[in-house]
Amino acid sequence: MGNSETETQTTVRAPFTPWDRRELPGLFDVEETARRVGNYKWTEMKLFEALGGWIATVPELDVKMRFGTHCYHHSWHADIWHKRLPELREMKPERLTAPANEAMERFIEAMTEPEAAELTIEKLVGVYRVLIPRFIGAYTYHRNNASEITDAPTVRFINFILQDEYDDWRDGEMLLQSLITTPDHVRRAAEHQAKLEAIMVEAGGITGPGSIGTSVSTTEGGA
Amino acid sequence: MRQFFPVDDLARDERFVQTNMAERMKDARTTVDVDAATAKSRASSNRLTPDRHDASDGARSLMHGIMVGEIQALEGAGRTAHDFEAGDGSGDTIPFELKLDMARQAWDEARHVEISVKLSDWMGTELGQFAENTVLFEAACSNDPILRLAGVNRALEGLAIDVFTQMKEFGNLAGDPYLEFCEDWMLADEVTHVKMGSDWLRKVTENDPDRRKKALEFQQVVDKLFSFGGARGETDESPIGLARRFRELAGFSDDEVDTISMMDQEALDERKEAIRAFHAQADAQPTPA
Repeated sequence: MGNSETETQTTVRAPFTPWDRRELPGLFDVEETARRVGNYKWTEMKLFEALGGWIATVPELDVKMRFGTHCYHHSWHADIWHKRLPELREMKPERLTAPANEAMERFIEAMTEPEAAELTIEKLVGVYRVLIPRFIGAYTYHRNNASEITDAPTVRFINFILQDEYDDWRDGEMLLQSLITTPDHVRRAAEHQAKLEAIMVEAGGITGPGSIGTSVSTTEGGA
Repeated sequence: MRQFFPVDDLARDERFVQTNMAERMKDARTTVDVDAATAKSRASSNRLTPDRHDASDGARSLMHGIMVGEIQALEGAGRTAHDFEAGDGSGDTIPFELKLDMARQAWDEARHVEISVKLSDWMGTELGQFAENTVLFEAACSNDPILRLAGVNRALEGLAIDVFTQMKEFGNLAGDPYLEFCEDWMLADEVTHVKMGSDWLRKVTENDPDRRKKALEFQQVVDKLFSFGGARGETDESPIGLARRFRELAGFSDDEVDTISMMDQEALDERKEAIRAFHAQADAQPTPA
């Protein structure tokens, strides 16, 4: 079978191709990863519940339909994290399905407070100008600091989820831009954003302080 | 945001006009002929077919009804995803996976609204041109999530299977591949939603026969309500047929479909009787000079 040239050709190759620059080290061990994943699941759940509940409360048909679509996106994220938890040695996913802290719980309460039909701007601001940008931050930090080899599944899931977050953020932001047409609208959006941001800062982000890492001092031997 | 949201507070823009089932049934205009002989003289069937003189208006009205029904189905699925905590299914809780299914259904219904808005436009209808009957969302307002599954996913989405089958056939007969294509896709989603309801109802009430019985009774009430006084049924007197094959795919047993068929016939007979009584009363009124 085959000619002699084929028979003598070696199959020995380096285990990593020259273009594969993945590294073993990562910032998060299994326990810390599970904690963060539990926070993600809790927050994604609260977000899809809020979007689902708000559908009936908004009179604008385009917003109503977007809420329905995005409700599913975030439920899918919650499902992904729900299934990831047992793979991270947490056999009771409900145990880690929790807010990062009390301030995060308060944030969700404040975000979901607007219900009246004339408060569409406030509903959109809470989700698309405060919460989803925080999700993008926390997911990006996690993806960029996780071990690309030992925790490849989480990195892969985050990449899928981040694509949804970017797309949903763009949808929501454009809806807001089309709805904010008067100085009073600008004031309402800014005031509500400021109120929610203050609570989010207190919470420290989706996974609490360190959601996007800790600040690096520039006074110690910076370039 | 409140845990439960009343039908009267449903948010709509100013183009929409809402009504309810009682108001709708008071309307003396009807697509059901009480006198079979009269019906025969006009057409051999009440089914919505392109050769009917009122086919264009009938199809537009039905498509608008589908669109507002999809809006309410979207709202109902969203509310069920919101209103109940994740748990083991007892009391006020629903399984986490059921919440996920409701969120998925919300996305499907959002697409159905998009489709039916575009189809309405294609058929020359404007948003709000016909009144919106809010009975669908009412069925989604129960405090028991299992009653919502029975009323919405099984009864109402079951009706959607019948309506979409009818509209798909209408598109085929009318030579409208655009309509037929869209209805075919929506029909696939509805079968999924009904199956979802059938599966969850069985699973959650597995060890609670009383709760299951109540849910199935509620489903029958809603089924009868949604037969629109016999507008849906197996005989040609009803404009909308009963799609047996698709209902079986969605988890209905033969007995269940037979029961629905029987209730449709009863509803048709009751409505005919009511219309006869109405006409008799009108005839008895003295004619103005």
